[in-house]
Amino acid sequence: MNTLTWRLNRSQVQISAAALATIAVLLLITGIAMAGTYHGFLGTCASAHTCADGHSLLFRCDGVLNAVVYATMAVPLLFGLFWGAPLLAREFEAGTHSLAWTQGVTRRRWLAGTAGWALAAAALWGAALSALVSWWRLPENAVGIPYPRFDTGTFDIQGLVPVAYSVFAVALGIGAGALFRRLLPAMATTFAVFVGLRFAIAEYLRPHYMTPLTKALPITAMTPGAPSAVPAGSWVVGPLSAIGPNGHNYGDAIQFSFMPAACRSLSPGQWVPCLAARGFHSQVIYQPATRFWAFQGIEAGIFVVLAAALIALTWRLVLTRDA
Amino acid sequence: MLGRRPGQDAGFLDSIGYLAQDIPLYRRLTAGDHIRIFARLNRHWDAAAAQDRLAALNIPASRPVGSLSGGQRAQVGLSLALAKQPRLLLLDEPVAALDPLARREFLASLAEAAAEGGPAVILSSHLLHDLERVCDYLILLSASRTQLCDSIDKVVATHRVLIGPRQKPPAGVTVVKATNAARQSRLLARLDGPVLDPSWDVHEVGLEDIVLGYMREAASPANGTLTAIGEAS
Repeated sequence: MNTLTWRLNRSQVQISAAALATIAVLLLITGIAMAGTYHGFLGTCASAHTCADGHSLLFRCDGVLNAVVYATMAVPLLFGLFWGAPLLAREFEAGTHSLAWTQGVTRRRWLAGTAGWALAAAALWGAALSALVSWWRLPENAVGIPYPRFDTGTFDIQGLVPVAYSVFAVALGIGAGALFRRLLPAMATTFAVFVGLRFAIAEYLRPHYMTPLTKALPITAMTPGAPSAVPAGSWVVGPLSAIGPNGHNYGDAIQFSFMPAACRSLSPGQWVPCLAARGFHSQVIYQPATRFWAFQGIEAGIFVVLAAALIALTWRLVLTRDA
Repeated sequence: MLGRRPGQDAGFLDSIGYLAQDIPLYRRLTAGDHIRIFARLNRHWDAAAAQDRLAALNIPASRPVGSLSGGQRAQVGLSLALAKQPRLLLLDEPVAALDPLARREFLASLAEAAAEGGPAVILSSHLLHDLERVCDYLILLSASRTQLCDSIDKVVATHRVLIGPRQKPPAGVTVVKATNAARQSRLLARLDGPVLDPSWDVHEVGLEDIVLGYMREAASPANGTLTAIGEAS
């Protein structure tokens, strides 16, 4: 069984290994240089109180590289499309499943061998890639500006979640292949479901894994250019909003007509001090940096459970349906 | 099948060989790859026999099977099915897509393999001449029912066409299909004994006509819907 799986998927494994090696070389070379810069910078900035400027120092000329690092977000999808979807769909399409199923191994063992290796490979590749990216981003994570590792986007390419996304994507591809028994519908479904679900969960579900914290700030925080006042590395979940003296939330801007009459008669430059004097303040909703790993665990758990459900579905489809 | 239920039983799977209609093979692998890989999936694999078979047929074992001709692929498929050393070999219209020469060669090598104390072979086909050449028994399935199940020699020996005046069929025959003209009846019938009634002419009939007679009868409206009963007789 293992030999068969290996011979049928050898080229995908080799291509993936080559791609991973290329990314590894790229990130190792630039990452080592960046770590050197960062440590040198840390030595001087503490005394000069300029550590917040570290980002511009670290990332002066790496636009392309940064894009490569963010592009690793698509790698789990590629696993799903090119490892997961063809795994069973190609067998059904070519009719070779009837060849495999009439050898002296049960369908159960055939499926366990085939799917097991693909899932294991996805987990392994996802882990290797995530480890590389997490390591590469260590200095930037530490500086935390402009994108802390908790932010949407940077959260998705490091830690545990890339492993879970990879396993899920491959399980999705396998399931779609077992359902449609044709390669193109399986790939299309994998693409649509993976992208849709990842977006929906990151955008609508992730902010609510734990109740966000609220921090009151002076109303001056609403003025453009004012520094954000959340603890470093936090994920700001919603926009800054203005809160009236009675607790009313005015959203991210107070309309002129809602301002107290006394303030409205003043010149625009006087509005903010006037509002502050009348008990207005602003507030920010955020997830603190300390919750990063809890969120990683929750999101990874969700995708692993979804992957398990898809594998159970595949199991049913393959073992109970006729050839 | 073979006294067991097919399914999740590796031992059972070991004892059947199967070749599906379009001869599925992993197109990018060579015949040699197939033989080596499947050796690990089967307990009684005879790799040497499969290699010898392919060598005897001049089929290159080191080229991807996708680049072989249809006849060669069918031979590779048959060699793999035989390499399992099955007790029963199931062939689902293996020759349907082959040219006449390849078909003849395939059936000849199949007959050879089955003759050497090989497996019992069930071969499904629409090509009756092929069946007549290589098979001993015939099972005719039509309209989801077994219409006929007997040795081919016996089928041919017991079926006759009877032509005579339009009247009740003679005693001792089972009519398979009756074609009535104004005065005359033409009956395809299975004979249980000699037809003694001199008003019937008895003619021998080939396997193909016998099978067609059964299939036409099974597919006729009389057996399908109630409304057409009158027309059928």
